[in-house]
Amino acid sequence: MSAAVATKDLTVQFPGLTAVDQVSLSVETGELRVLLGANGAGKTTLMDLISGKTKSTAGRVLVGGVDVTNWEEHRIARIGVGRKFQIPSVFRELTVQENLTIASCKSVSLVSNLGFGLSHRQQRRIDEVLDLTALTGVRDRIASDLSHGEMQWLELGLVIAQNPKVLLLDEPTAGMTQSETRKTAEIIKSLRGRYTILVVEHDMAFIREIAEQITVMHLGRVLAEGDIAAVESNEEVRAAYLGSKGIH
Amino acid sequence: MALKRGHLDLIIYGAFVAVILVAPLWLDDFWVNRLSKYLVYGMLGIAISLSWGYAGILNLGQGLFFGAGAYMLAMSLKLASPTSLQSSDTPVPDFMLWNSEPGAVANLCCINRVSFLWIPFQHQWFGLIAGVALPSLIAGLLGTVLFRRRLAGAFVSIITLAFVLMIRLLVIEEQPLTNGFNGLTDLALLTIGNFQFDPYDRATYYLVAVSLSLALIGARLLVGTRAGLILQGIRDDQARARCLGFNVPAFQTLFFSVSAAIAGLAGMLYVVVAQFASPTFLDISFSITMVIWAAVGGRSSLLGACIGAIVINMIEATASETAALLDLWKVIIGLIFVLAVLFLPRGIAGLAGSVSDRLFAMWSRGRGQAELPSGAAQPAE
Amino acid sequence: MIDVAFIGLSIGAILLLVSLGLAITYGSMGVINMAHGEMVMLGAYTNVLLGIWLNVGFLAAIPVAFMATALVGFVIERLVVRRLYGRLLDTMLATWGIAILLQEAVRLDLGLSLVGINIEGLGKGLQKVAAPDWLAGVVTIAGVQINAYRGFIILLTAVLTTATWILLYRTPLGIQVRAIMRNPKMAAACGINVERVNALTFAYGSGLAGIAGVMMSGFMTVSPEMGAPVVVDGFLVVVTGGLGSLLGTVWSAGILGEINGFVSSVTTDVVARAAVFAVLILIIVFRPNGLFSFRAR
Repeated sequence: MSAAVATKDLTVQFPGLTAVDQVSLSVETGELRVLLGANGAGKTTLMDLISGKTKSTAGRVLVGGVDVTNWEEHRIARIGVGRKFQIPSVFRELTVQENLTIASCKSVSLVSNLGFGLSHRQQRRIDEVLDLTALTGVRDRIASDLSHGEMQWLELGLVIAQNPKVLLLDEPTAGMTQSETRKTAEIIKSLRGRYTILVVEHDMAFIREIAEQITVMHLGRVLAEGDIAAVESNEEVRAAYLGSKGIH
Repeated sequence: MALKRGHLDLIIYGAFVAVILVAPLWLDDFWVNRLSKYLVYGMLGIAISLSWGYAGILNLGQGLFFGAGAYMLAMSLKLASPTSLQSSDTPVPDFMLWNSEPGAVANLCCINRVSFLWIPFQHQWFGLIAGVALPSLIAGLLGTVLFRRRLAGAFVSIITLAFVLMIRLLVIEEQPLTNGFNGLTDLALLTIGNFQFDPYDRATYYLVAVSLSLALIGARLLVGTRAGLILQGIRDDQARARCLGFNVPAFQTLFFSVSAAIAGLAGMLYVVVAQFASPTFLDISFSITMVIWAAVGGRSSLLGACIGAIVINMIEATASETAALLDLWKVIIGLIFVLAVLFLPRGIAGLAGSVSDRLFAMWSRGRGQAELPSGAAQPAE
Repeated sequence: MIDVAFIGLSIGAILLLVSLGLAITYGSMGVINMAHGEMVMLGAYTNVLLGIWLNVGFLAAIPVAFMATALVGFVIERLVVRRLYGRLLDTMLATWGIAILLQEAVRLDLGLSLVGINIEGLGKGLQKVAAPDWLAGVVTIAGVQINAYRGFIILLTAVLTTATWILLYRTPLGIQVRAIMRNPKMAAACGINVERVNALTFAYGSGLAGIAGVMMSGFMTVSPEMGAPVVVDGFLVVVTGGLGSLLGTVWSAGILGEINGFVSSVTTDVVARAAVFAVLILIIVFRPNGLFSFRAR
């Protein structure tokens, strides 16, 4: 059984900087993996490489066993990869409902979308996603009028509606209040098992809530892997990331 | 039955079509001809709105597609005209005869080095088809090159501007092919079956009005599809659309080409109504003026841009009674344009949309219906 | 051959003078100022008016045009451009609207012709300014015949480019401008008054265009429409040269001037312009960061 998403010696070199250095990662189907590391450790770049936003200079990316190395972004998306960005990226001039309609299109081809409306099943699915992200009340609101937290949930909703096999979530709680963070943790926990999820996060409390396995990155390389306890007690991780005082 | 927002659009579109179809009843031939010109400009408004408001592509050289369409039909109509030499194997336009080398053969194949390009235009249907096909083709090519490279919107705009400038230079320069500055004049009338479309005939007006209505409704239906919604998403955030799996350049190129096709059709209709094609269609001031119509009327509203184009031209025609008034009008429209860009990004249609939203909300609340959307989903189209 | 190259150089020089201002405003503010061509036009008219009304030669017109167009640029920035920060396409359109207004202002004698007053030197028609006598004719340097006026243009452009370089790289204000070019938010966070610097930058760029206008009035007819084609040329040069690269602008103006010069010596002026457009379009399409961009990522 191949891993849901895996990288082999993945590397990307920019002039003067090796942002991701021979990273080999393997995430099983249905697993929830947290990517941890200081700013500049290469976590977002790693996600960019997997989703196709950035081209690698060496190594391979595999999704469900298929080699997608340096494929075009939209082709990787079609094969089942969904991406949520650090800065919420939604369709700002359209309503929440319209945003989700776009994400739930059964087919992404131009020709097949020259039709009108959605099937009942698709509309019900959108209703489910709205319910999950607690956005039912604002379904007709223009996305740019949403609060920051709501926009993050909308983007999460878009990725869920896309129904990919792998979810790449980049700091889903950035800029959120404590209660918003808790709600996000619940949403992500409810997705566990149905999707394979790779999450970049800083918020340790949030990580405690959702993490199973953690991969710690530092300066573009994988520093350590394991569950929370293993990572917390790892000397190198403490030195590089957590600081000598441990987790606070 | 509750009155829904969608129904409002239907009513407004229907009203507009009804008005333009009925207008000739009260106007004399001269005014009918003038109005048909404005309707052609209305089509250009639709084309700009489709490209700019919906696809997010600001084409500063839309005149290129308009001119291409115009010249294609004009070439066919020129060959059919009595001013072209009709007595040899192929008709030969008068300007080619005047400018030919002594001893040149009076035949399209060889009277000058580029005249052979005119040969297919002996058939009127070729000119008609080319008038829509050529602009679409150019747009498709441009789109494929520009959009695949993910050039920033501003770069695309500057390139469209440079492109129309370049083509204008070449059209003017190639006197043997295009008659240069003078353009193509003394054209035959468009003939379909046994019917001839005289510019001052009501039939010509209806040809334009029906074409406009079809273009308007067609475009409105197109943007109402899921593909149209996806296109607007691409306009708002290309990266997000891409990582949802959509082939962004394909969508952009298609809608860009449809916009070009509408502009080309408008060009052909203009030739029928005004009886000439000229390089002035490729002037940058004309292309920019089209953008002004859409900016003031409402870039994200097909009908708004269309009405904006018609109304602005009507006012300009009235103002051009005196030279001073015309200049004053230019200043006023320039000012309105700047103010619209600064403060009214959705144009007058957007303003009308917000007002009608608020009225709608008050009316629904008065009827005890649920709280209505707190923001216009789309301005009244 | 050399004279063709020389002509190309002088074309490039005018192009550079126009593009310098654009490069700085685009580089530091990311603003595409479609009214820049009208700054050139206003500079030309300044020369015309000074000649008619004050009988002042064109050497004196240069600083006056600089000040006048810098002032106009400053006002435009404060009233319009500032409100559209971040909205690039809208800035293009708004400045184009202003360009239209400026053209009409000149055509209407600043509005006075509407009430029947005509100002000599303004209005819809063409104006002509003679190149100064001391620059007429030909100068011979190292055995090569050089048109004196063109030579002066090249000299002046060289001086102004050097002055701009000094301003940008050797003064505190220049450091601020360059900081804003790299990262406006960080610059603001470091205490730089971004708004004031942007206004001054815009004014300076417009002023340079005004000087270009004075130079252009010496060899072409002056009309309210003379500015329009200028801005597209200028932008293509700036974008080809690379965002934020002064050297890049210099190079691309020079190269494009030469291409224009050579092609027009072989065919016609018109084809030369079309050829230059084609080359520039291709460069932008295939190297959107320009030939000399310093951006690494």
